[in-house]
Parts: sequence; C-alpha cells; structure tokens
Amino acid sequence: MTFHIPGALREYADGQNKLVIEHAPATLGDALSALWLLHPGLRDRIVTEQGQLREHVNIFIGDEDVRYTGGLMSPISSGSEISIVPAISGGS
Amino acid sequence: MIGQLLGHYRVAAKIGEGGMGVVYRAYDEVLHRDVALKVVKKDARLDASASQNLLREARASSSLAHPNICTIHEVGETDGELYIVMELVEGKSLRTISGDMSLPAESVLRYGVQIASALGRAHDRGIVHRDLKTANIVVTADGLVKVLDFGLAKQVGIGILEGPTQSLATIQDTSSISGTLPYMAPEILRGEAADYRSDLWALGVVLYESASGRLPFEGRTGFEISSAIMRELVKPLGPSVPLGLWAIIQRCLAKDPAQRYQRASEVQAALEAVQSAFIVSKDLPADRGGPRTTVLHGLRHAKVRKGDFLLLVGTIKGAFILRSNTQRGGWEVGGPYFHGHAVYAIAYDSRAGQHRIWASTQSIWGTLLRSSDDFGKSWTNPQEAAIRFPADAGISLKNIWQITLGPEDEPNVLYCGVEPAALFETRDAGETWSLIRSLFDHPHRPRWMPGNGGLALHTVVLDPGNKQRMYVAISSGGVYRTDDGGTTWTSQNRGIRAEFMPNRYPEFGQCVHKIAMHPARPERLFLQNHWGLYRSDDHADHWVDIANGVPSDFGFPIVVHPRNPDYVYVVPVESDQFRCACDGRLRVYRTRNAGASWEPLTRGLPQKGAYETVLRDAMTTDSFDSAGIYFGTRSGQLFGSLDEGKTWQTILEGLPAIVCVRSAFVEGAASGLKPTLSPQSRTLPQTRSRATSKSRRKRKS
Repeated sequence: MTFHIPGALREYADGQNKLVIEHAPATLGDALSALWLLHPGLRDRIVTEQGQLREHVNIFIGDEDVRYTGGLMSPISSGSEISIVPAISGGS
Repeated sequence: MIGQLLGHYRVAAKIGEGGMGVVYRAYDEVLHRDVALKVVKKDARLDASASQNLLREARASSSLAHPNICTIHEVGETDGELYIVMELVEGKSLRTISGDMSLPAESVLRYGVQIASALGRAHDRGIVHRDLKTANIVVTADGLVKVLDFGLAKQVGIGILEGPTQSLATIQDTSSISGTLPYMAPEILRGEAADYRSDLWALGVVLYESASGRLPFEGRTGFEISSAIMRELVKPLGPSVPLGLWAIIQRCLAKDPAQRYQRASEVQAALEAVQSAFIVSKDLPADRGGPRTTVLHGLRHAKVRKGDFLLLVGTIKGAFILRSNTQRGGWEVGGPYFHGHAVYAIAYDSRAGQHRIWASTQSIWGTLLRSSDDFGKSWTNPQEAAIRFPADAGISLKNIWQITLGPEDEPNVLYCGVEPAALFETRDAGETWSLIRSLFDHPHRPRWMPGNGGLALHTVVLDPGNKQRMYVAISSGGVYRTDDGGTTWTSQNRGIRAEFMPNRYPEFGQCVHKIAMHPARPERLFLQNHWGLYRSDDHADHWVDIANGVPSDFGFPIVVHPRNPDYVYVVPVESDQFRCACDGRLRVYRTRNAGASWEPLTRGLPQKGAYETVLRDAMTTDSFDSAGIYFGTRSGQLFGSLDEGKTWQTILEGLPAIVCVRSAFVEGAASGLKPTLSPQSRTLPQTRSRATSKSRRKRKS
C-alpha cells in the first residue's frame, strides 16, 4: 500500500513523496493511523483535532475521492495507491 | 485450605488474593492437570440467586475458547464454598510488569492487540467483562496475554472494595455498580448499564496506564476520581508514545460511548496498523515527536541587534519583519516567513529578558502557533498543534486571531483568542495550552453568531492593575469580562448597539471589532463596533457613543496613544456594504479629548481613489516619546507616522493583504535609547521613496 505525499507536506515525511506500508490495514483510517506513526507531523496537517479530513484536503484511493467511498472507513487493499492532494479551492 | 479437597480439586498452595477471593493452585484429580482455583469470599457473594447468576455466567464464559482468555473450567459449590476453577496461567499481571513505569510502546501495542482480540471474542458471544484492569491481565513468560475473570464482575460485585474505590459508596449507590473505579466508564458512574463499549473504555485506561505508568484519571478520593472520569480531559501522553497509539487511547476514552470505537475488533485493527507501521519505523530517529524547528535558508533576514526597533507584519500570505533603529528612518525587510500561510496574529515577548516572536499561521493544512528566538532565522514547527479543541468540544480550530502576553511577572503565561470563538491559556510558555472552559461553557455561547470573518474571539485585554480582571471581545458576541481570574464571565455591552438585530441594544451579540485600553487608566476602554464608536470609563460596565465628527462610525482598528489616555486613533470605512475608506480618501481620525471630537490626519496619505481597508489588528503604536503610529492596508501598503499622526510616510508597498501589524523595541543595548526614556525624536525620514525603494530592492534580492 502506497501513500503519495504532496509537496507541501514532504518536510513532515523526511522529504519523501512516496511512502510504502508493508502490512495493509483494512481501512483508510487504519492506514492513516499507521502513517501518523511513521510521520507524526502529517496528522494535524491532514485531519482536524476531531479526526476529520480537513476541508481543503482531498484523499484519493486510486482515482476515487474518499469523500464518496466511505471516508475514513473506505476499504483498502495491499495494492492501494493513496494520494493526499490539496483541493483547488484551497489556494485562495 | 491447603491440602483440602474441593470437589475433585486438591488445593496445593495460595497464589494470590483479590477483591473476589483467594486464588490457589490446585490439582485436578480427575483430569490430572494443574488448575487455578478461586474461592469466592463470603462477603463478596450476594444471595442465592446471585450465586446462580454467577454459575450461569461462568458457564457462558467457559465457552470462550480463545488463546488470550483464561479459560474457566468449572464453577462449583462444596460445603458452602463457592469456587471457580480456571486455567492456571503462570506469569505476571500487567500491573506488576508496568508498576509505576511506562512500558515501551512496542509492548503496549503487542499486549493491546491481544487484549482487544480477547474482548472481541467475548463481545461476539454477548459477554461483557465489566472489570478489565491491568491487575487481571496476565502476561506469561513468552509474552502471551491472558485476560482473567470474564463476565464475573456483575454477579459478584467484585472489585469495588479494592484500593481507591473504597469511598465510592459515599457518592453513589453501589448495588448496581461493579468494576474498579479508576477503570469505570462515565456511563457506569451515571448508573447506566455497562455494555461492551464500557470494556473499550477500560481498555483505553489499561493502554494509557501501560504506556505511561499512571492512570488517566486520578484523585485522592473516590469522589475526585469519579469527577475526573466524568468531566476531565485525559492528560496528554509524552512524546515517547506514538501518536497513533495516543489517538487510539483517546478514542477509547471518549466520554460519550457513541464517540468510541464501537467494536473491539476496530481497536484491534487500529492497534495492528500502528504496530505494523511501528515495525517499519523502528529504525527512524527517536526524537520525531517533539517540536521541530525549521531553519530558513535562501530567505533574507533582517539583522536585528539590541537597540533596534521592529515592525512585525502579518499578511494573508506570510509574515515580514522590518528592522530599523530608534530613528525609524530606513527599513530592512526580512521574510516572507511562512510562505503562503496567513498570519493573523503576531506578538513580541520580551518578558524575563527573552526576545521571542510569536506568530500564528493558517493554511489549508491547519493552524499552528509558532515562535522564533532569533528574529525569524528559525521558527518552531510543531509536529502536533498545541492549541486544539478537546474531543468533547466537537469543534476544530480554524484560526488564531490574537496572541496576548500574560502579566509581566508571569513570563510563562500567554493567551490566544481563536476562531471558533474561544480562549486558550498556557502557563508553561506555550508547551501546553488549555481551553478556558468557563468561557467556552458560557450559556450565551450557542447564540453567538459568526460575522464576516467567522465567529472569532479576536481581542484579549488584561487589566495591568488587577490580575483577576480580563476582557475579551467576540465577533459577534460582544465584550465579556471576568473579575475573578477567569472563573466567571459577564457580558459587558450596555450601551452598544447591534444595528443588525431587532433589539438594537441586546445584552450580548454585538459585533465588536476591537477594544483598546490605556494601561495607565485601566478603567477606560475604547471600542470600535460594527457601526459605532464607544468609550467606557467604568471597566466596560457602561459604554457611551463617541462618534462625534467621524465620516462613518464603521471601522475595524482602534488604538490608544501609548502615553496619553485621551488620544485615540481609528480609520473609518464607508459602511458594512462598502468596507473602504470614505470617498476614496485614506484618513486616520484622531481624538485628543477621549472622543469629544475627532480630527482627520491625511498628510502623506493618498487622498484620491484610495479605496483602502485597514483591518482590526493592522494598526499599532510604538512607545517612543513622539509616538509612532503604524498601519497596513488590505492592498498591502504599510504606512507610518513618527509624529503622532501629523504626517505619514509609506514604509512598504506591494505586500499581500496586511492583517496584523505590531511593533517591538529590542531592549538590552548598553548605549541604545529606550523608547520611553528617549528624548523627543526630531529626526524624520526626509523622503519616503528612499525607505521604500531600499526595502523593495532588498525584497527582490
């Protein structure tokens, strides 16, 4: 399972743009928990303190926006490509 | 008891004693195996029907064949002794292993997964543990976890007589409660029925205790412990605990069962995910949890020396630090700091000899409070936001609008006013921040309304003569004051109109844009409202309209002269529909008689086609003898006056929209002029273009 990290957040991921997690958890929420552990600085930048995805941050599993596939409960598999992408609306 | 036969079990040796009874090693003379035999204390037993329940429950529990559950073989009664025969588990309890020490995160995760797995199996069979705690979780020599006493708590009422739970009887009827107080979920303390989610709460307590060596909710008495469980937020764990594990613990410890994980299998999956990532990340450096510092390269910094004077400018796309000397003639520009982030609040903290700049940064990636001790060369870049709403608040931080320093003699105290409207306080120089609950829980809060800039607590004013008194201003909520150090807050809006409400003079709900106090006369406050200019001479008990001769009483900033409490500056805009300088003429208005009359100050300011807006925190003063007044506009122009507003110069143009301007004098120079002691500064910059072009050249390079 692979995470794609946007440029603005790479400083919190030791400069990497791609992170591979060997043991794929069942849901996006669990995968993110694993991501926070690897790179704690990413968490507060991607989700709010209430655990919700920030308004202008999108996450895609493959080509699917997770807002339409069950949010943090979206299922993932070992081959999932997860992209974290700032929304266009966030550039105001 | 030793040597006796209970049923077909020969009692061999006493191996432990708990609230429920004494545990012996025994030998099963029929099946020829060692077992644990728990003889239930007579005083822990209830009546005959309870004994029957115990038998029934134990039989159900005995069906739980799971590697992490201590199997119950049999429950029997012989000669009036009720006993439970269990799998003999040789190991140490998690409480003994942990003691007062924190266990490595790896161990906590490994044990946690097994405990969650055990709970999952039991819950699937409809069995709730009801008394999960570190004392009844045993870890064998090879690391296998065994959870003891499944389903036994309810029937026997065990545990409640143990340790710190003894005074529970004084606060609540214990007949319907079972379990051990420090592990009890809030719903149980409320007298509601325990369900499987109460076990998940207890699991959260167990994980917290294992990870930190202390209980999440502590107290000297049962009453204190239950109050903490019901009301307090769990204290954060240190940086050695992985954030993923901390997040799981927090979710287990949500006061509302509906906010917790709903199934033990979810906790197990989350712990496993953290565990698998932990295995991958084990080799990474260990200091990843603490605040990070970003050192900025390739950026021009102002070379600040002691005795310098600074302007700190926050814009919607970053912050700038402008350096000058006491003459304030030419400016060297550092920045932009926080490239692309909005900086709505800046403060300079020179208390206790420090030189710290605080700044809030906001972007789509959230809002953080950052600081620099080297005038912008490096900034803290915390991994985790220190200012955050607790889980039960149910809302998230949108912006930090105000950073206000605490009293001079308490250099570790600061306040932040934030959006959604709330006040945060730190007492350890920003390491940890807490929400001021008394204001957050104010009965008015649900009726505060967001203004154009959102629902923000944007102004915090301390009374320098009375540490118990503080004012906050909320848009739209009005002015609130505490006279008892923040225990209670009262709305203080008498005389302030709310143009947009059916009742023009409501108790609260006014859209106040800014309040300002003169430190020498703390009873006097000035207020720029969303329509309306006001003064109070009695600590905000009453406000009087002072819009005598301004072209519009709509505006945002209001600043008081650093020494003369009768001098006040505002920048009126036309209306709430057209928030631009009236008639396209950028005019600062000054009163020299506390609002009895106002005069326009225009020399050096554009007077044609200047549809400028000056926002609420974008104006400030310095404290030199001839006071400097500075303001920035939404079009990115920064203006200054060194003669109290008589004449103005452009300091810098072409910045992003300016939202915050603050001044700072860097004390400590042996020969430097301290602003309040300096002689009248007569030297004014001769041309405005020199300062501007020099600054701009530097910005380009």
